[in-house]
Amino acid sequence: MLALVLALALGVTLGLLTNVSVPVAWLTYLGVAVLAAIDACLGGVKASLEETFDDKVFVSGFLTNTLMAAFIVFVGDRIGVRELYLAAVVAFGMRVFDNLGTVRQLLFHRWGWE
Amino acid sequence: MHRPPYRPALVLVFVVLGLLIAVAFNTTSRLTEVRSGRASDLVDVVQSLEQQRDDLQNRLAELRSDLARLEREAAADSGVSKSFSRELDRVRQAAGLSAVTGSGVEVVLGDGSEVAPGTDPNDYLIHDTDIAAVVNALFVGGAEAVEINGERLVATTPIRCAGTTVLVNSARLGSPYVIRAIGDPAVLEQAVLGDESASLLFDAYMSQYGLQVSLARSSDLMVAGYRGSMRPQYVRPARGGA
Repeated sequence: MLALVLALALGVTLGLLTNVSVPVAWLTYLGVAVLAAIDACLGGVKASLEETFDDKVFVSGFLTNTLMAAFIVFVGDRIGVRELYLAAVVAFGMRVFDNLGTVRQLLFHRWGWE
Repeated sequence: MHRPPYRPALVLVFVVLGLLIAVAFNTTSRLTEVRSGRASDLVDVVQSLEQQRDDLQNRLAELRSDLARLEREAAADSGVSKSFSRELDRVRQAAGLSAVTGSGVEVVLGDGSEVAPGTDPNDYLIHDTDIAAVVNALFVGGAEAVEINGERLVATTPIRCAGTTVLVNSARLGSPYVIRAIGDPAVLEQAVLGDESASLLFDAYMSQYGLQVSLARSSDLMVAGYRGSMRPQYVRPARGGA
């Protein structure tokens, strides 16, 4: 668990230090992609705790979710349904909290706090 | 209790997630910077425009006071302005807007005092036609200014009957009617007494109906200026007219 927190902190630090940014018009896509990435990472943690983690499934899931989330919002913009990003936000948001709950329970179980 | 088997792939992806979050954060903060920078630019623009407006208002007030000062100086110094001023006075006088003095005659027309039984009372009164006859005779004699009971005769002056009174300008006048005319006294007198209609007053009517009629020469008469309004609604200067 500590390794994951450190990895996250390392990524954030790298990003802030390099001060990389995308065009402002892409901000919605990036935001939804971040949401999808959080969902995928929680899914990965869950799978790890359930000991069903698979590298290929996880990495492909992460890439697919992230890119597709951004792509769906992009398509929504292009076909005049700008609110489509709400669908992505709601869907991924619900999944994030679902996964979070599951991870929490699994951690409790693993750490013997039940 | 054993540690969960976190794979390198998961750790690596967490680094990527951190990067993504940082990039989103960078972009958002840049957006805020852009917005606030633009807002402060606009504030600068507004403030500078307000400054310009205030400067221009001050300049306008300055120029207006300069103009007023120059107008005053021009009126005081310029021969052109002086001559315009004199011309204006002359035109006012010709139009009958200012009081004038000079030699002339004073004609008084008063109603008869007693109406003889069986006669028409109208015959004992001074009528508008009597006054008009005298005034016309005075103009024939070259009268330059005429007033009736202080009402200056101007281009729009009517002399007409209005019930028991005579309307001159917008004033209702009653007997006796004092007509003052400025001009050559001898010529004016001759004109009135030589006029067919006017002379009847001084001759037959005066003796027959007891009218109070008199004519006196004067070397120093004053004739009042026209006091009514002159606000034409329909007349306009004729194009190319003199």
